[in-house]
Amino acid sequence: MRRILAQARKELTQLVRDRLALGLVLVLPLCLTALLGTSISLTVTDIPIVIQDLDQTPLSRRYADMFRSSLTFRVVTLPPATSPATMLDWGATRAALIIPEHFERQIRRGRPAEAQVLVDATDGNTARLTRGSAGAITRAFAQQLAQTGTGATIQTATSATIRTGTSATIRTATRLWFNPGRDPGKFYGPGFLVLGLSIFPTVIAALAMSREGEQKTILQVYVSSISAHEFLLGKILAGMAIGLAQCLLGVGLMYTLFGLQFAGDPTPFVAGSVLYVFCMAAFASLVGAAIPNQAAAVQAVALGGFLLSFLLSGLIFPIENIPDGLRWVSNLVQARYYVVIVRDAFLQGGGWPAVWWAVLAVGAIGLVFYTLAWRSMRRMQVKA
Amino acid sequence: MRRVWSALFGGRFWALALKELRQIRRDRRLTISLIVPPTLQVLLFGFALDSDVRNLKLGIVDESRTLESRELISVLTQNRTFRLAGSYPTAATLGEALSIGRLDVGVVVPYDFARRRMRGRPATVQVLLNAANANTAQIAQGYVEGAVAFLNRDVNNRDLNGGRAAPVELRTAFLYNPGLVNAWFVVTGVFGTLIILNGSLVSAATMIREKERGTVEQLLMTPASALEVVTAKIVPLFVLLMVMVALVLAVARLVFGVPLRGNPALVLAACACCVLTGIGLGTLTSTFARSASQTQLISFFINPPLAMLSGGLTPIEAMPKWVQPVTLFNPIAHFATIARSVLIKGGGLDVVYPNLLALIALASLFVGISAWRFRRQLS
Repeated sequence: MRRILAQARKELTQLVRDRLALGLVLVLPLCLTALLGTSISLTVTDIPIVIQDLDQTPLSRRYADMFRSSLTFRVVTLPPATSPATMLDWGATRAALIIPEHFERQIRRGRPAEAQVLVDATDGNTARLTRGSAGAITRAFAQQLAQTGTGATIQTATSATIRTGTSATIRTATRLWFNPGRDPGKFYGPGFLVLGLSIFPTVIAALAMSREGEQKTILQVYVSSISAHEFLLGKILAGMAIGLAQCLLGVGLMYTLFGLQFAGDPTPFVAGSVLYVFCMAAFASLVGAAIPNQAAAVQAVALGGFLLSFLLSGLIFPIENIPDGLRWVSNLVQARYYVVIVRDAFLQGGGWPAVWWAVLAVGAIGLVFYTLAWRSMRRMQVKA
Repeated sequence: MRRVWSALFGGRFWALALKELRQIRRDRRLTISLIVPPTLQVLLFGFALDSDVRNLKLGIVDESRTLESRELISVLTQNRTFRLAGSYPTAATLGEALSIGRLDVGVVVPYDFARRRMRGRPATVQVLLNAANANTAQIAQGYVEGAVAFLNRDVNNRDLNGGRAAPVELRTAFLYNPGLVNAWFVVTGVFGTLIILNGSLVSAATMIREKERGTVEQLLMTPASALEVVTAKIVPLFVLLMVMVALVLAVARLVFGVPLRGNPALVLAACACCVLTGIGLGTLTSTFARSASQTQLISFFINPPLAMLSGGLTPIEAMPKWVQPVTLFNPIAHFATIARSVLIKGGGLDVVYPNLLALIALASLFVGISAWRFRRQLS
């Protein structure tokens, strides 16, 4: 135990002397989490839309006004002698609403009036959102028509039928749980906390390990009386200290900048974080032991840690959408489980019943990494 | 003509360029890192990043247990957005399942659902959404409401034999990408990121090697001017990176079926600018660093924000207002706009010229600064 602590202390001393590495570990992850967590979102709120009103009647203008007053859309004026399609081609707008001629007349006659919305579908997600909100606005408009009657003065028989027709409807009362304001930061903030924790302490720990190999100081370790377990555990302990410090800072950021707090029992988060930090430090030691070249080790961690934890962990895009052939890989990615733990701790608050399996999985993967690292180190001899 | 020819291929420049080319060729790791990661990354990103909302786990509490309530459930699960994950006896158990993450959406149909509808009175269905992911929640909500509206229209048609539909219908037309293939968006967005990141990585590696081994002094002793040294370093890298670009384009076209509707020369011009920017960025980091591992650490400070704040993966319009102007200085953002306009929308120079100009400006800025720093380091 004493030797483990001594080893860990030596690592931390080395780290404090390297200013670039220290900045990398403590400052950068916080900046990154703050910046990306607040600015990454898939949900566009001000979708630019042009409205071409070919009818120019009170009803058509009322319909257009509903788009104007919605939070999802920002109406862009259509320059004279320009077609909406050109505006879309130019990228000046994401959508175009076209209200045809005789829009009001059709409604007053009790015939269905059709409006068209052209959507730039280059970005499929925004296109889907556009369709959804335009549909919702149109439904609200239709309901308004039904309730107030189509004309203020002429109460026709048709409007009366609309009234009876739509009153027998199903209504939805939607409750948004866990994030009622639909604030994307509350979802992505914890995600980027995980990303920061996956990259930076890992890079530093891997560097510390491969440096021994590159500068041949590993020989000193070999000739000393320290065992492979003690050496590895010392390294990992130092890595865990860095990781936990960063995790603590990250939690502080969640509380302040993102306005989050522990939604329920924080013990799964604590246990999960300790295990995750262990897992990443073991992974780093494995990479560092296997690649005795600092530059190559950083690249390996960047590829393994960053790409995998970014792509296959459900950080931004749901795991369920990954094609089957690739999705099983994500089960081997430790970040995938930790993302679940962190999001549950800050948003859902399901506690142990919700995430026990994720905590176990992180621990298991950590053990595998540790065993692999130990196997590559255990002989404590220079590789032939 | 002859003088240009001899200046290019007869003189010092050619010799230096040839030396660089040979060095790059002998470094097998560098060659591999030029070919394998970009291809792999574009495949991974294209397949793995899909924002489509589908297969959401739907839980039901059906207190009505009637034809009408089952119809509502079947309408909800018709589409692939929702997948029926289970029925629950009470709203409380449903809420519990929702909070431990077994469900994404819960629908509670009240016991008097059918009766109220028969009597022509509105029936309220409660929808519980896990809104942790704001985007998914919004799309799911839109879908539930759309399905209910569809059902309402159905009822109106049947009950009032006048055969009326809703008074206003909205027809949606998806332009450019009617199938809503998400990979088109991601691949065109990631393309620029790959060029810049790999370009800067490779160029930093070749530049720093000269520095690490102390061969910069040898370059100083050659009669070549600093400008010649720098250009000779850049040109072979540029050629190699353009090969990488062609490879990635081929993958995008063949694997993901990204269309090529506009002028390919325009895209290639944008690629060339991006490659130059990447080389400039890499050279710049290498002038600040002392060793290869340091360049990579520095790139950790630059690359993630550069890649994430580019609009490549998430729309720029969804970023906060104060971040949006910052993306104007991001070459990847301009490249993504050009790639999407030209490849997917078939736009021409008249559409993308502001972005192309910005890219050219950024490329010359980065190459200029890095060349200046490199020269200063030489002298």
